[in-house]
Amino acid sequence: MERTQLKSISISGSGTSSGGEYDQVKVNGSAHIHGDLICEQFKCNGSAHLEGNITTDTAKINGSTHFEGDVEVKEMTINGSTDIDGNLLCDELKVQGSSTIKGNVKGKELIVRGSASIDGNVCSDEIDVKGQVKIKGDCETESFEARGNFKIDGLLNAGTIDVELLRHCEAKEIGGENITVKKTRDASGFKKLIKFFMSNHNDQLTAEVIEGDNLYLEHTHAEVVRGNTIEIGPGCDIKRIEYKTSLEIDPDAKVGTQEKI
Amino acid sequence: MEKLISKKDLLEEANISYGQLYRWKRKNLIPENWFIRKSTFTGQETFFPKDDILLRIQKIKTLKDDLSLDELADMFSPSPTLTSLSAEELTKRNIVSQTTVDMFNNFHGPSQSFSFNQLLTLYVLNSLLQTGDVNLAEGIDLLKLFHDQEQTVKSTDSELIFIRKMGVSFFILTPEPANLFLESQAKKIAHYKLSQCIEELKLKLS
Repeated sequence: MERTQLKSISISGSGTSSGGEYDQVKVNGSAHIHGDLICEQFKCNGSAHLEGNITTDTAKINGSTHFEGDVEVKEMTINGSTDIDGNLLCDELKVQGSSTIKGNVKGKELIVRGSASIDGNVCSDEIDVKGQVKIKGDCETESFEARGNFKIDGLLNAGTIDVELLRHCEAKEIGGENITVKKTRDASGFKKLIKFFMSNHNDQLTAEVIEGDNLYLEHTHAEVVRGNTIEIGPGCDIKRIEYKTSLEIDPDAKVGTQEKI
Repeated sequence: MEKLISKKDLLEEANISYGQLYRWKRKNLIPENWFIRKSTFTGQETFFPKDDILLRIQKIKTLKDDLSLDELADMFSPSPTLTSLSAEELTKRNIVSQTTVDMFNNFHGPSQSFSFNQLLTLYVLNSLLQTGDVNLAEGIDLLKLFHDQEQTVKSTDSELIFIRKMGVSFFILTPEPANLFLESQAKKIAHYKLSQCIEELKLKLS
Protein backbone atom coordinates (compact mmCIF):
# COMPACT_ATOMS: atom_id res chain seq x y z
CA MET A 1 0.00 0.00 0.00
CA GLU A 2 1.32 3.36 -0.91
CA ARG A 3 1.68 5.74 1.95
CA THR A 4 -0.17 8.93 1.73
CA GLN A 5 2.08 11.94 1.74
CA LEU A 6 2.16 13.40 5.21
CA LYS A 7 2.34 17.09 5.82
CA SER A 8 4.91 18.87 7.90
CA ILE A 9 4.39 21.64 10.37
CA SER A 10 6.80 24.29 11.41
CA ILE A 11 6.06 26.60 14.28
CA SER A 12 8.20 29.71 14.28
CA GLY A 13 7.35 32.28 16.83
CA SER A 14 4.60 31.26 19.14
CA GLY A 15 1.88 28.87 18.10
CA THR A 16 -0.41 26.07 19.04
CA SER A 17 -1.35 22.83 17.34
CA SER A 18 -3.91 20.19 18.15
CA GLY A 19 -1.54 17.33 17.36
CA GLY A 20 -2.07 14.72 14.70
CA GLU A 21 0.01 12.81 12.17
CA TYR A 22 2.82 14.59 10.36
CA ASP A 23 6.05 14.06 8.51
CA GLN A 24 8.16 16.67 10.26
CA VAL A 25 7.36 18.81 13.23
CA LYS A 26 9.69 21.72 13.83
CA VAL A 27 9.49 24.24 16.60
CA ASN A 28 11.69 27.30 16.43
CA GLY A 29 9.92 29.49 18.92
CA SER A 30 7.45 28.37 21.48
CA ALA A 31 4.76 25.81 20.81
CA HIS A 32 1.91 24.30 22.67
CA ILE A 33 0.51 21.04 21.29
CA HIS A 34 -2.79 19.93 22.76
CA GLY A 35 -3.11 16.36 21.55
CA ASP A 36 -1.12 13.28 20.61
CA LEU A 37 1.57 13.61 17.99
CA ILE A 38 2.76 11.03 15.48
CA CYS A 39 5.58 12.09 13.19
CA GLU A 40 8.76 11.03 11.45
CA GLN A 41 10.87 13.78 12.88
CA PHE A 42 10.43 16.07 15.85
CA LYS A 43 12.79 18.95 16.33
CA CYS A 44 12.58 21.65 18.92
CA ASN A 45 14.93 24.60 18.97
CA GLY A 46 12.88 26.71 21.31
CA SER A 47 10.42 25.54 23.86
CA ALA A 48 7.61 23.08 23.35
CA HIS A 49 4.87 21.73 25.51
CA LEU A 50 3.04 18.58 24.44
CA GLU A 51 -0.06 17.53 26.33
CA GLY A 52 -0.40 14.09 24.79
CA ASN A 53 1.79 11.17 23.77
CA ILE A 54 4.35 11.31 21.02
CA THR A 55 5.51 8.62 18.61
CA THR A 56 8.34 9.56 16.31
CA ASP A 57 11.39 8.23 14.50
CA THR A 58 13.82 10.87 15.61
CA ALA A 59 13.50 13.55 18.21
CA LYS A 60 16.05 16.27 18.68
CA ILE A 61 15.65 18.78 21.42
CA ASN A 62 17.93 21.77 21.51
CA GLY A 63 15.76 23.92 23.69
CA SER A 64 13.41 22.85 26.37
CA THR A 65 10.49 20.50 26.02
CA HIS A 66 7.87 19.13 28.31
CA PHE A 67 6.02 15.95 27.32
CA GLU A 68 3.03 15.19 29.48
CA GLY A 69 2.41 11.74 28.06
CA ASP A 70 4.48 8.77 26.92
CA VAL A 71 7.30 9.12 24.43
CA GLU A 72 8.06 6.43 21.88
CA VAL A 73 11.05 7.20 19.70
CA LYS A 74 13.80 5.43 17.79
CA GLU A 75 16.51 7.98 18.24
CA MET A 76 16.37 10.81 20.72
CA THR A 77 18.94 13.48 21.37
CA ILE A 78 18.50 15.95 24.17
CA ASN A 79 20.85 18.91 24.08
CA GLY A 80 18.72 21.16 26.18
CA SER A 81 16.36 20.10 28.87
CA THR A 82 13.44 17.73 28.68
CA ASP A 83 10.77 16.64 31.09
CA ILE A 84 8.75 13.52 30.38
CA ASP A 85 5.82 12.79 32.68
CA GLY A 86 5.09 9.39 31.19
CA ASN A 87 7.23 6.46 30.08
CA LEU A 88 10.03 6.59 27.53
CA LEU A 89 10.50 3.83 24.99
CA CYS A 90 13.49 4.33 22.73
CA ASP A 91 16.21 2.60 20.77
CA GLU A 92 18.87 5.18 21.35
CA LEU A 93 18.77 8.00 23.85
CA LYS A 94 21.49 10.57 24.16
CA VAL A 95 21.20 13.11 26.93
CA GLN A 96 23.70 15.92 26.64
CA GLY A 97 21.72 18.38 28.63
CA SER A 98 19.40 17.49 31.39
CA SER A 99 16.31 15.37 31.51
CA THR A 100 13.74 14.29 34.03
CA ILE A 101 11.56 11.28 33.35
CA LYS A 102 8.76 10.44 35.74
CA GLY A 103 7.91 7.03 34.28
CA ASN A 104 9.95 4.01 33.23
CA VAL A 105 12.64 4.00 30.57
CA LYS A 106 13.07 1.11 28.19
CA GLY A 107 15.73 1.30 25.53
CA LYS A 108 18.65 -0.30 23.77
CA GLU A 109 21.35 2.27 24.22
CA LEU A 110 21.30 5.03 26.79
CA ILE A 111 24.09 7.58 26.73
CA VAL A 112 24.18 10.27 29.36
CA ARG A 113 26.69 13.07 29.03
CA GLY A 114 24.79 15.52 31.17
CA SER A 115 22.35 14.68 33.86
CA ALA A 116 19.35 12.41 33.86
CA SER A 117 16.86 11.75 36.60
CA ILE A 118 14.41 8.89 36.30
CA ASP A 119 11.65 8.15 38.78
CA GLY A 120 10.75 4.70 37.47
CA ASN A 121 12.72 1.64 36.40
CA VAL A 122 15.34 1.59 33.65
CA CYS A 123 15.82 -1.32 31.30
CA SER A 124 18.32 -1.12 28.47
CA ASP A 125 20.93 -3.19 26.65
CA GLU A 126 23.64 -0.65 27.31
CA ILE A 127 23.99 2.27 29.66
CA ASP A 128 26.92 4.66 29.39
CA VAL A 129 27.14 7.50 31.87
CA LYS A 130 29.65 10.29 31.85
CA GLY A 131 27.79 12.72 34.00
CA GLN A 132 25.14 12.15 36.53
CA VAL A 133 22.26 9.73 36.76
CA LYS A 134 19.61 9.32 39.41
CA ILE A 135 17.25 6.37 39.24
CA LYS A 136 14.53 5.86 41.81
CA GLY A 137 13.61 2.36 40.70
CA ASP A 138 15.64 -0.62 39.50
CA CYS A 139 18.16 -0.54 36.68
CA GLU A 140 18.61 -3.57 34.43
CA THR A 141 21.15 -3.66 31.62
CA GLU A 142 23.72 -5.91 29.99
CA SER A 143 26.48 -3.36 30.31
CA PHE A 144 26.65 -0.49 32.78
CA GLU A 145 29.56 1.87 32.30
CA ALA A 146 29.86 4.94 34.44
CA ARG A 147 32.53 7.62 34.68
CA GLY A 148 30.68 9.90 36.96
CA ASN A 149 28.07 10.06 39.57
CA PHE A 150 25.10 7.80 40.00
CA LYS A 151 22.44 7.12 42.58
CA ILE A 152 20.17 4.12 42.20
CA ASP A 153 17.54 3.59 44.87
CA GLY A 154 16.74 0.06 43.77
CA LEU A 155 18.75 -2.82 42.31
CA LEU A 156 21.47 -2.33 39.72
CA ASN A 157 21.46 -5.58 37.76
CA ALA A 158 23.95 -5.80 34.91
CA GLY A 159 26.11 -8.32 33.10
CA THR A 160 29.15 -6.09 33.21
CA ILE A 161 29.46 -3.20 35.59
CA ASP A 162 32.41 -0.90 35.05
CA VAL A 163 32.51 2.13 37.29
CA GLU A 164 34.98 4.94 37.79
CA LEU A 165 33.82 6.78 40.83
CA LEU A 166 33.20 10.47 41.05
CA ARG A 167 31.98 11.86 44.34
CA HIS A 168 29.49 9.83 46.30
CA CYS A 169 27.89 7.07 44.20
CA GLU A 170 25.10 4.98 45.62
CA ALA A 171 23.07 1.89 44.81
CA LYS A 172 20.91 -0.09 47.19
CA GLU A 173 21.84 -3.44 45.71
CA ILE A 174 24.22 -4.44 42.94
CA GLY A 175 24.16 -7.77 41.16
CA GLY A 176 25.84 -9.08 38.05
CA GLU A 177 28.59 -11.15 36.49
CA ASN A 178 31.67 -8.92 36.31
CA ILE A 179 31.75 -5.91 38.57
CA THR A 180 34.64 -3.45 38.59
CA VAL A 181 34.65 -0.35 40.72
CA LYS A 182 37.65 1.97 40.55
CA LYS A 183 38.59 5.41 41.65
CA THR A 184 39.21 7.88 38.85
CA ARG A 185 42.92 7.97 38.26
CA ASP A 186 43.66 10.44 35.51
CA ALA A 187 42.91 13.56 37.47
CA SER A 188 43.26 16.34 34.90
CA GLY A 189 43.80 19.91 35.95
CA PHE A 190 40.13 20.72 35.67
CA LYS A 191 39.05 17.78 37.77
CA LYS A 192 41.65 18.71 40.37
CA LEU A 193 40.17 22.17 40.46
CA ILE A 194 36.68 20.81 40.97
CA LYS A 195 37.94 18.55 43.69
CA PHE A 196 39.65 21.45 45.36
CA PHE A 197 36.33 23.18 45.77
CA MET A 198 34.46 20.07 46.75
CA SER A 199 37.04 18.60 49.02
CA ASN A 200 34.42 17.34 51.43
CA HIS A 201 33.15 14.94 48.77
CA ASN A 202 35.18 11.77 48.69
CA ASP A 203 34.99 9.46 45.72
CA GLN A 204 33.22 6.41 47.06
CA LEU A 205 30.49 3.88 46.39
CA THR A 206 27.94 2.91 48.98
CA ALA A 207 25.77 -0.17 48.63
CA GLU A 208 24.00 -2.53 50.98
CA VAL A 209 24.63 -5.72 49.05
CA ILE A 210 26.97 -6.47 46.15
CA GLU A 211 26.71 -9.88 44.54
CA GLY A 212 28.50 -11.14 41.45
CA ASP A 213 30.82 -13.70 39.91
CA ASN A 214 34.01 -11.66 39.58
CA LEU A 215 34.37 -8.56 41.68
CA TYR A 216 37.02 -5.90 41.93
CA LEU A 217 36.14 -3.12 44.34
CA GLU A 218 37.90 0.07 45.42
CA HIS A 219 36.65 2.68 47.85
CA THR A 220 33.44 0.77 48.36
CA HIS A 221 31.37 0.77 51.51
CA ALA A 222 29.03 -2.19 51.76
CA GLU A 223 27.27 -4.34 54.30
CA VAL A 224 27.69 -7.61 52.44
CA VAL A 225 29.75 -8.61 49.39
CA ARG A 226 29.22 -12.06 47.92
CA GLY A 227 30.91 -13.66 44.92
CA ASN A 228 33.17 -16.28 43.38
CA THR A 229 36.42 -14.38 42.96
CA ILE A 230 36.67 -11.21 44.96
CA GLU A 231 39.42 -8.65 45.03
CA ILE A 232 39.10 -5.90 47.56
CA GLY A 233 41.15 -2.83 46.74
CA PRO A 234 42.18 0.15 48.82
CA GLY A 235 39.71 2.31 50.67
CA CYS A 236 37.00 -0.33 51.08
CA ASP A 237 34.94 -0.73 54.21
CA ILE A 238 32.97 -3.96 54.08
CA LYS A 239 31.24 -5.58 57.02
CA ARG A 240 30.94 -9.10 55.64
CA ILE A 241 32.39 -11.00 52.70
CA GLU A 242 31.25 -14.41 51.45
CA TYR A 243 33.35 -15.94 48.67
CA LYS A 244 33.56 -19.20 46.80
CA THR A 245 36.87 -19.42 44.95
CA SER A 246 39.29 -16.72 45.97
CA LEU A 247 39.57 -13.57 48.04
CA GLU A 248 42.29 -10.94 48.03
CA ILE A 249 42.27 -7.99 50.35
CA ASP A 250 44.38 -4.86 50.06
CA PRO A 251 46.11 -3.87 53.32
CA ASP A 252 44.44 -0.49 52.98
CA ALA A 253 40.93 -1.98 53.22
CA LYS A 254 38.73 -2.62 56.21
CA VAL A 255 36.85 -5.91 56.24
CA GLY A 256 34.69 -7.26 59.07
CA THR A 257 34.03 -10.98 58.80
CA GLN A 258 34.94 -13.17 55.86
CA GLU A 259 33.70 -16.64 55.08
CA LYS A 260 34.50 -19.18 52.38
CA ILE A 261 31.45 -21.07 51.21
CA MET B 1 2.59 -21.66 53.48
CA GLU B 2 5.02 -22.43 50.71
CA LYS B 3 8.52 -23.49 51.66
CA LEU B 4 11.15 -20.82 51.07
CA ILE B 5 14.80 -21.15 50.16
CA SER B 6 17.45 -18.49 50.74
CA LYS B 7 19.49 -17.23 47.82
CA LYS B 8 22.68 -18.72 49.18
CA ASP B 9 21.16 -22.17 49.60
CA LEU B 10 19.56 -21.94 46.21
CA LEU B 11 22.86 -21.23 44.45
CA GLU B 12 24.40 -24.21 46.18
CA GLU B 13 21.53 -26.59 45.60
CA ALA B 14 21.05 -25.64 41.95
CA ASN B 15 24.80 -25.22 41.38
CA ILE B 16 24.56 -21.83 39.69
CA SER B 17 26.41 -18.56 40.23
CA TYR B 18 25.18 -15.12 41.24
CA GLY B 19 25.86 -13.95 37.70
CA GLN B 20 23.56 -16.57 36.19
CA LEU B 21 20.78 -15.81 38.63
CA TYR B 22 20.98 -12.09 37.93
CA ARG B 23 21.16 -12.68 34.16
CA TRP B 24 18.06 -14.85 34.23
CA LYS B 25 16.27 -12.26 36.31
CA ARG B 26 17.23 -9.60 33.75
CA LYS B 27 15.89 -11.76 30.95
CA ASN B 28 12.61 -12.21 32.85
CA LEU B 29 13.11 -15.93 33.20
CA ILE B 30 12.43 -15.63 36.91
CA PRO B 31 9.39 -13.58 37.87
CA GLU B 32 9.89 -10.52 40.03
CA ASN B 33 7.41 -11.68 42.68
CA TRP B 34 9.49 -14.75 43.44
CA PHE B 35 12.13 -12.51 45.01
CA ILE B 36 10.92 -12.28 48.58
CA ARG B 37 12.83 -9.99 50.91
CA LYS B 38 13.08 -10.80 54.57
CA SER B 39 15.08 -9.45 57.44
CA THR B 40 17.55 -11.86 58.99
CA PHE B 41 20.37 -11.48 61.46
CA THR B 42 22.80 -10.69 58.62
CA GLY B 43 20.56 -7.94 57.28
CA GLN B 44 18.10 -8.26 54.44
CA GLU B 45 18.18 -11.50 52.53
CA THR B 46 16.31 -12.68 49.49
CA PHE B 47 14.24 -15.83 49.57
CA PHE B 48 12.45 -17.79 46.86
CA PRO B 49 9.50 -20.18 46.80
CA LYS B 50 11.56 -23.36 46.91
CA ASP B 51 9.67 -25.80 44.69
CA ASP B 52 8.83 -23.25 42.02
CA ILE B 53 12.34 -21.84 41.67
CA LEU B 54 14.10 -25.20 41.66
CA LEU B 55 11.74 -26.49 38.99
CA ARG B 56 12.24 -23.32 36.94
CA ILE B 57 16.06 -23.46 37.18
CA GLN B 58 16.02 -27.13 36.24
CA LYS B 59 14.00 -26.24 33.15
CA ILE B 60 16.25 -23.33 32.22
CA LYS B 61 19.33 -25.50 32.55
CA THR B 62 17.98 -28.32 30.40
CA LEU B 63 16.53 -26.05 27.73
CA LYS B 64 19.14 -23.32 27.48
CA ASP B 65 21.31 -25.29 25.05
CA ASP B 66 18.48 -25.61 22.55
CA LEU B 67 16.75 -22.28 22.98
CA SER B 68 18.05 -18.75 23.36
CA LEU B 69 17.35 -16.92 26.60
CA ASP B 70 14.85 -14.70 24.80
CA GLU B 71 12.97 -17.73 23.49
CA LEU B 72 12.94 -19.14 26.99
CA ALA B 73 11.56 -15.88 28.32
CA ASP B 74 8.71 -16.10 25.81
CA MET B 75 7.97 -19.58 27.00
CA PHE B 76 7.84 -18.63 30.66
CA SER B 77 5.88 -15.45 30.13
CA PRO B 78 2.14 -15.84 30.70
CA SER B 79 1.25 -14.15 27.42
CA PRO B 80 0.43 -16.52 24.59
CA THR B 81 3.06 -17.12 21.94
CA LEU B 82 0.93 -18.07 18.99
CA THR B 83 -2.57 -17.08 18.18
CA SER B 84 -4.17 -20.20 16.83
CA LEU B 85 -3.66 -23.77 15.76
CA SER B 86 -5.79 -25.95 13.53
CA ALA B 87 -7.66 -28.97 14.88
CA GLU B 88 -5.89 -31.26 12.45
CA GLU B 89 -2.44 -30.18 13.57
CA LEU B 90 -3.47 -30.43 17.18
CA THR B 91 -4.14 -34.16 17.01
CA LYS B 92 -1.42 -34.84 14.48
CA ARG B 93 1.25 -33.39 16.72
CA ASN B 94 -0.23 -35.36 19.57
CA ILE B 95 -0.77 -32.33 21.77
CA VAL B 96 -4.23 -33.44 22.80
CA SER B 97 -6.23 -36.55 21.96
CA GLN B 98 -9.05 -36.74 19.41
CA THR B 99 -11.52 -37.56 22.18
CA THR B 100 -10.76 -34.27 23.89
CA VAL B 101 -11.15 -32.30 20.68
CA ASP B 102 -14.47 -34.03 19.97
CA MET B 103 -15.70 -33.23 23.45
CA PHE B 104 -14.71 -29.63 23.06
CA ASN B 105 -16.42 -29.40 19.68
CA ASN B 106 -19.59 -31.03 21.04
CA PHE B 107 -19.75 -28.41 23.74
CA HIS B 108 -18.75 -25.31 21.80
CA GLY B 109 -19.83 -26.32 18.33
CA PRO B 110 -17.38 -27.51 15.65
CA SER B 111 -14.38 -25.32 14.97
CA GLN B 112 -11.36 -25.73 12.74
CA SER B 113 -8.82 -23.68 14.63
CA PHE B 114 -8.29 -22.88 18.28
CA SER B 115 -7.09 -19.78 20.06
CA PHE B 116 -4.42 -20.01 22.74
CA ASN B 117 -6.97 -19.89 25.53
CA GLN B 118 -8.99 -22.63 23.91
CA LEU B 119 -5.81 -24.64 23.53
CA LEU B 120 -5.16 -24.22 27.23
CA THR B 121 -8.64 -25.49 28.03
CA LEU B 122 -8.08 -28.45 25.74
CA TYR B 123 -4.71 -29.16 27.26
CA VAL B 124 -5.98 -29.12 30.84
CA LEU B 125 -9.02 -31.23 29.96
CA ASN B 126 -6.85 -33.66 28.06
CA SER B 127 -4.45 -34.25 30.93
CA LEU B 128 -7.30 -34.65 33.41
CA LEU B 129 -8.94 -37.23 31.18
CA GLN B 130 -5.70 -39.05 30.45
CA THR B 131 -4.83 -39.47 34.11
CA GLY B 132 -8.32 -40.79 34.69
CA ASP B 133 -8.96 -38.20 37.39
CA VAL B 134 -12.01 -36.93 35.62
CA ASN B 135 -14.76 -38.72 33.69
CA LEU B 136 -16.43 -37.43 30.56
CA ALA B 137 -19.43 -35.88 32.34
CA GLU B 138 -17.15 -34.04 34.70
CA GLY B 139 -15.12 -32.91 31.73
CA ILE B 140 -18.17 -31.04 30.48
CA ASP B 141 -18.33 -29.24 33.82
CA LEU B 142 -14.74 -28.15 33.33
CA LEU B 143 -15.46 -26.83 29.84
CA LYS B 144 -18.37 -24.88 31.25
CA LEU B 145 -16.27 -23.45 34.08
CA PHE B 146 -13.47 -22.36 31.74
CA HIS B 147 -16.00 -20.87 29.38
CA ASP B 148 -17.77 -18.88 32.11
CA GLN B 149 -14.55 -17.77 33.76
CA GLU B 150 -12.69 -16.89 30.59
CA GLN B 151 -11.31 -13.67 32.06
CA THR B 152 -10.00 -15.40 35.16
CA VAL B 153 -8.29 -18.04 33.06
CA LYS B 154 -6.74 -15.33 30.90
CA SER B 155 -5.25 -13.58 33.89
CA THR B 156 -3.33 -16.87 34.26
CA ASP B 157 -2.15 -16.73 37.84
CA SER B 158 -4.81 -19.10 38.97
CA GLU B 159 -5.04 -22.67 40.14
CA LEU B 160 -7.50 -25.37 39.28
CA ILE B 161 -8.47 -27.81 41.98
CA PHE B 162 -10.72 -30.83 41.56
CA ILE B 163 -12.36 -32.21 44.69
CA ARG B 164 -14.52 -35.24 45.24
CA LYS B 165 -16.47 -36.25 48.29
CA MET B 166 -18.72 -39.33 48.48
CA GLY B 167 -18.94 -39.45 44.70
CA VAL B 168 -19.89 -35.80 44.30
CA SER B 169 -17.26 -33.83 42.47
CA PHE B 170 -16.62 -30.20 41.68
CA PHE B 171 -13.95 -27.89 40.29
CA ILE B 172 -12.51 -24.84 42.01
CA LEU B 173 -10.76 -22.10 40.11
CA THR B 174 -8.91 -19.74 42.43
CA PRO B 175 -6.14 -17.15 42.30
CA GLU B 176 -2.65 -18.36 43.05
CA PRO B 177 -1.45 -19.24 45.69
CA ALA B 178 -4.44 -21.20 46.88
CA ASN B 179 -4.62 -22.35 50.47
CA LEU B 180 -7.42 -24.83 50.86
CA PHE B 181 -8.22 -26.78 53.97
CA LEU B 182 -10.33 -29.83 53.28
CA GLU B 183 -12.41 -31.91 55.61
CA SER B 184 -11.19 -35.45 56.01
CA GLN B 185 -13.71 -37.14 53.72
CA ALA B 186 -13.15 -34.76 50.86
CA LYS B 187 -10.39 -35.77 48.52
CA LYS B 188 -8.30 -33.49 46.36
CA ILE B 189 -8.10 -35.42 43.10
CA ALA B 190 -6.17 -32.97 40.97
CA HIS B 191 -4.40 -29.69 41.53
CA TYR B 192 -3.07 -27.70 38.55
CA LYS B 193 -1.27 -24.41 38.45
CA LEU B 194 -2.44 -22.82 35.23
CA SER B 195 0.83 -20.90 34.83
CA GLN B 196 2.66 -24.21 34.76
CA CYS B 197 0.15 -25.67 32.32
CA ILE B 198 0.81 -22.72 30.03
CA GLU B 199 4.54 -23.36 30.18
CA GLU B 200 4.08 -27.04 29.37
CA LEU B 201 1.71 -26.21 26.58
CA LYS B 202 4.12 -23.69 25.07
CA LEU B 203 6.89 -26.22 25.23
CA LYS B 204 4.73 -28.71 23.31
CA LEU B 205 3.73 -26.12 20.76
CA SER B 206 7.23 -24.84 20.09
